[in-house]
Amino acid sequence: MALEDTRRLGCGRSIDQIWAGMDQPPTSHEEDCELCQAAKARMQKIKEATVALRESDLHNPEMTLPAERTNSIMALARAEARRSKRLVLRGTEYGTVEISEQALSSLIRLAAAAIPGIHSRRCRIEVQSDAEMGSTHLTINLRVATASGIDIPATVEGLRQKINKAIPAGVGIDAGTVNITVEDLYDV
Amino acid sequence: MSEQNLQGSLINSELIASLAARTALETPGVLRLEPTIKGFLASLGPAALANFHISGSQDGSYRHDGVVARINDGTATVHLDIATDIAYTALSVAESVQERVRENICHTGLNPGPVHVHILTIEASPGSIPR
Ligand SMILES: [Zn+2]
Repeated sequence: MALEDTRRLGCGRSIDQIWAGMDQPPTSHEEDCELCQAAKARMQKIKEATVALRESDLHNPEMTLPAERTNSIMALARAEARRSKRLVLRGTEYGTVEISEQALSSLIRLAAAAIPGIHSRRCRIEVQSDAEMGSTHLTINLRVATASGIDIPATVEGLRQKINKAIPAGVGIDAGTVNITVEDLYDV
Repeated sequence: MSEQNLQGSLINSELIASLAARTALETPGVLRLEPTIKGFLASLGPAALANFHISGSQDGSYRHDGVVARINDGTATVHLDIATDIAYTALSVAESVQERVRENICHTGLNPGPVHVHILTIEASPGSIPR
């Protein structure tokens, strides 16, 4: 599992690349993507803090080394992007357990990456929680492209089974409703 | 001096935050705590915090990277932001963190309130074999 796989939003965009483009006008994807917009709104606060920091640096030679700081700013930007969409997994008198939609969609993208002939695209997840019953029901909406010439129903069924195993193993709840839409074919 | 006063003077939110952070990091399946803006600024030193007009405990709560602790009427409430290891089941890890943190709060003489855990990311641990 490459670390890069865990650094993408549900729409497939890399958090690191969104951060790198914070100074640029929004891309056409970003203009239509609620996930990118929410992540950017969170990261904007860090951008402002780092700009102010650079200015105050001129008067403060003792602050940490730039390279070290660049890494910690990147880690902070990723954390903030992940805070932009969260789902409640469980709520008890001992406290709530929440998970970022990004962590969940990464697990699903990872499951899809293991199936030959499938490219995952946009993934959105909804959760219906019943606090009193202590139950959580997920609805996973995943759009994919499949390789031309493959048996689509069998491949999609294989992906569904993979997701149905990956979510309980990785998260600890059932995958719930898994809606997979084949929206495109790609040439191999 | 009553016991309540003694507690109030000895156990502050900073201590609970560091206890909770340490307990979380010792729980199997927790890779790290996730950074926050305030924690980041605090790591740069008092000057950075002062520049942004942030104090460590404005509202009686204490925060550094990935943890916020608050004490109210002898009850400690904690919020943790964690990264978990993909080799573990995230919800079980989070519930184990809740249990351990509450247990350790008991040892301080305070009442354990809710321990909120937010799983921000699930990743392979740096030492594990890629799969
Ligand atoms: Zn997007």
